[in-house]
Amino acid sequence: MHQVEMMVNGQVRRAEVPAETTLLSVLRETWGLTGSKLGCDVGDCGACTVLVDGLSVNACLLLAVQVDGQEVLTIEGMGGFDYLHPIQAAFERLSSIQCGFCAPGIVISAKALIDKNPHPTEQEIREALAGNLCRCTGYTKIIEGIAEACRAPAITDGISVTESGHV
Amino acid sequence: MKHAGRGIACMWYPIGFTVAANPSSAVVKVNEDGTATLLTGTVEVGQGSLTVLGQIVAQELGISAEDVHVISADTDVTPMDTGAIASRTTFVTGNAVRLAAAEAKSILLEVAAEMLGVEVRELEAANHQIRVKTFPEKRISLADVAMGAQIARGRPPLGSASFNPPTVAMDPETGQGKPFAAYVYATQITDVEVDDETGEVEVLHVYAAHDSGTAINPALVEGQVEGGIAMGIGMALSEEILFNPEGRQINPNLTNYLIPTSLDMPPIDIDIIESYDPVGPFGAKGVGEPTLVPTAPAILNAIYDAVGVRITDLPATAEKILMAIRKKERSNVKGLEPGEGDT
Amino acid sequence: MSEKPTKEKTADLGDLLAEPRVGQLPAVTRGPIPVVQALTVGANQQTPAVGQRVTRLDIRTHVTGSTRYIDDLAFPGMLHVKILRSTQAHARILSIDTTAARAMPGVVATLTGDEIPENSFGSSYQDQPVLAVDRVRHQGDGLVAIAAETEQQASDALAAVKVTYEPLPALFDPLEAIRPDAPKIHRDNNVYASKVIIRGDVEKGFAESDQIFERRYRTQMIEHVPMEPFAAIALWEPDGQLHVYSSNGRITLGRADLARTLQMPMNRIRVTATFIGGNFGGKNEIRTEPILALLAKKTRQPVKATFNREDEFIASTTRHPIIMDYKTGVADDGHLIARSVRLVLDGGAYASWSETTVGKAAILAAGPYRIPNVHVEGHAVYTNKTVTGAMRGFGAPQVAFAYESQMDEIANTLGMDPLAIRLLNGFSEGSISHTGQVLQAVALEETLLTAAKRSGWMEEGT
Repeated sequence: MHQVEMMVNGQVRRAEVPAETTLLSVLRETWGLTGSKLGCDVGDCGACTVLVDGLSVNACLLLAVQVDGQEVLTIEGMGGFDYLHPIQAAFERLSSIQCGFCAPGIVISAKALIDKNPHPTEQEIREALAGNLCRCTGYTKIIEGIAEACRAPAITDGISVTESGHV
Repeated sequence: MKHAGRGIACMWYPIGFTVAANPSSAVVKVNEDGTATLLTGTVEVGQGSLTVLGQIVAQELGISAEDVHVISADTDVTPMDTGAIASRTTFVTGNAVRLAAAEAKSILLEVAAEMLGVEVRELEAANHQIRVKTFPEKRISLADVAMGAQIARGRPPLGSASFNPPTVAMDPETGQGKPFAAYVYATQITDVEVDDETGEVEVLHVYAAHDSGTAINPALVEGQVEGGIAMGIGMALSEEILFNPEGRQINPNLTNYLIPTSLDMPPIDIDIIESYDPVGPFGAKGVGEPTLVPTAPAILNAIYDAVGVRITDLPATAEKILMAIRKKERSNVKGLEPGEGDT
Repeated sequence: MSEKPTKEKTADLGDLLAEPRVGQLPAVTRGPIPVVQALTVGANQQTPAVGQRVTRLDIRTHVTGSTRYIDDLAFPGMLHVKILRSTQAHARILSIDTTAARAMPGVVATLTGDEIPENSFGSSYQDQPVLAVDRVRHQGDGLVAIAAETEQQASDALAAVKVTYEPLPALFDPLEAIRPDAPKIHRDNNVYASKVIIRGDVEKGFAESDQIFERRYRTQMIEHVPMEPFAAIALWEPDGQLHVYSSNGRITLGRADLARTLQMPMNRIRVTATFIGGNFGGKNEIRTEPILALLAKKTRQPVKATFNREDEFIASTTRHPIIMDYKTGVADDGHLIARSVRLVLDGGAYASWSETTVGKAAILAAGPYRIPNVHVEGHAVYTNKTVTGAMRGFGAPQVAFAYESQMDEIANTLGMDPLAIRLLNGFSEGSISHTGQVLQAVALEETLLTAAKRSGWMEEGT
């Protein structure tokens, strides 16, 4: 067994896991963070996409011990029910998502994109999503949603609106 | 060299099961504040059916979509439904929920008629109110009626109903009959580019015109069309389960079985054609399955338009197209009949 | 189709490992995450409600990753189940020995088909075993289910099961399987569902035609690929009721099949489906539910089985490949006079939804066109391949590929505009379908003209 400790969504998490345990498995099964999904287990579908130290990765391909000491952002660290990341708000307005299974990975991939490139072209959005498979939507309203989110003041000006109106 | 081509294909598609009974039932409860709860035994599989069913209940009761809470998919809690299959949910389950809402509404109308001192037939439910059709200023809020019905009169506004689409059995010898209550129609036109050196096809644009009857929720209709086109592109160009000689699948994974990615999807222009079906709820038919039906032939016809080869076995992989182009070139050299590069 | 690019992400394993270890955690997350207040979209508050772009009522849980799919549920003491599948396409099962598997670490129980009270299911014919007992009919038939404390332990124990087979001749081509002398896969006939549509006199129609077009079209086997692999959980409530959570799009049928296979009254079975991560027809039948119910009973613990992606391909259903022979007679002015169609559906190892598929394919096969003389026959044929069943379109995408390819060829040969030939022959309000039905709310012409206008078809002078 191996001790692992990582910062997940701003909170320190610890676990004792067998060496072969994937990051996805420790997130879902040990810590109950079931937002990241298991769609293929071999890095084809992107439903398990999370950020590790700001880089988007397939959590099914990484071992938990490889992420020891790192910082992880999962879908649970994005918006909540009352406050949404602009990407999530745009997806909601446009009904961009259908069955929802790919959504957590897509939201994370989109965040990784606009963190680096707040004004992506449509082609850049398509390229950023190329590792996230969706069988329901044809990606059409997802791509529109990301483009729309990039026009939101929270992205263009870096302003966050919280309950009290504070940034 | 890359060649541009354009193809067209149309289709028809039925709603519901082939003759066989495929009923739905529903329960609608109007709460004391004029909001409502719908119980349906269908299952949300991603198409947005629960949202559409909530809109149908809201329309019947004259309230808004957010006023309807939907509970689904539990055999101990929700009433019988044939389920998410055969593009039937809007049409069949939609009719059941509409009838259930109408039954709850009839209690509200009777109570409102007493409260307003008018006849039931003079009333309608609209904009969160029950009002006199010819004199809308004479009205009472749905919440007050619902509260009055339950508290003062002991008549909680509740409705339950079932629906099964009307069909006529088919003659076993000739197939003559009326197997379905409704059909939808669609046309798709695609623009493609075919590389005659590699056989690769890029789908550049899809124009899709789909009849769905009344579009209860246009955004969700568009979502179905966009997703169906993606599935149609996969069918046309890349998807195929392959077997080894012993009957074992060779590519049971998403590494080697290729579904379209964001890079494979073209821009799509959608026109929703709103015919009005006399049987469907508020004129609606359905849209789930038919969206992918015309895509593959529209692409294959565009490939023919581009390079003059007709692939007759799907998928039209780059290898297959390239072989057909080479075969056609050889035929042309020999002076044989041009134009058909059949595989 | 584009290659899926390898993400930069996985290339950084070495760097990640070289990063700081325990005790050197970053103090704060990297940069604030911008958020906006979630507001109800106006359309949700509008009346009348029909026609509004109401946002999906499940969208907020979807975009925040809080929708609970079946695999996201867990119960105390829950065991995990894996299923051993056939390595033979067609064989008699001589023996199944689970002794060694039961002794493997973490294994709590095993189940074979002979322990299932009514070991068969199917939407038209109950010809499919839940777990095969005496014969396997494709490389995907389940043989033994193993419940263990972890998924890995269950997987590992599969290798310890010993199965001996006596191979039988296998059929992979439906045109071979349809021959009267072919080996039989079930009972006495490999053709298990047929549909005929006859209108007018097709031979007379061909005789009256100016030109005849004949061609064979073929389509492939396709997988639904729902992003959520099928998952189910079974547990017995304290009052003795069976509660099954399942990503099944048809819970009414699911409960009926459970009641039948387990020989239990329906009111003692509850099926809950929560939300399904994509269906497309592939989640319309039971898969593992009776197995899980019995293993949960045996072990007195909740049990879960989640398909991996390979299970989803080989042990769920697929889209029928169809071999389609089309013959169409036309007048020189482009009017369709007669069409005959013969469809042979690769029906796979079990019937599943083939009867419906062959029926819909036959009804739709002549296309949305006024044709006075039509003869269609369709046959679904058993082969020793993956089960073919319900998939979005039920045979319609296949026949549309054929009828629309042939329409294009006819237009091309006659020198007609492909749009014009469709407008000339297409159904309109009150047209009679090939089954004699008077059609209403027919919007075909409008879809043709609208798509043509939107794409600039007329300006192109195609």
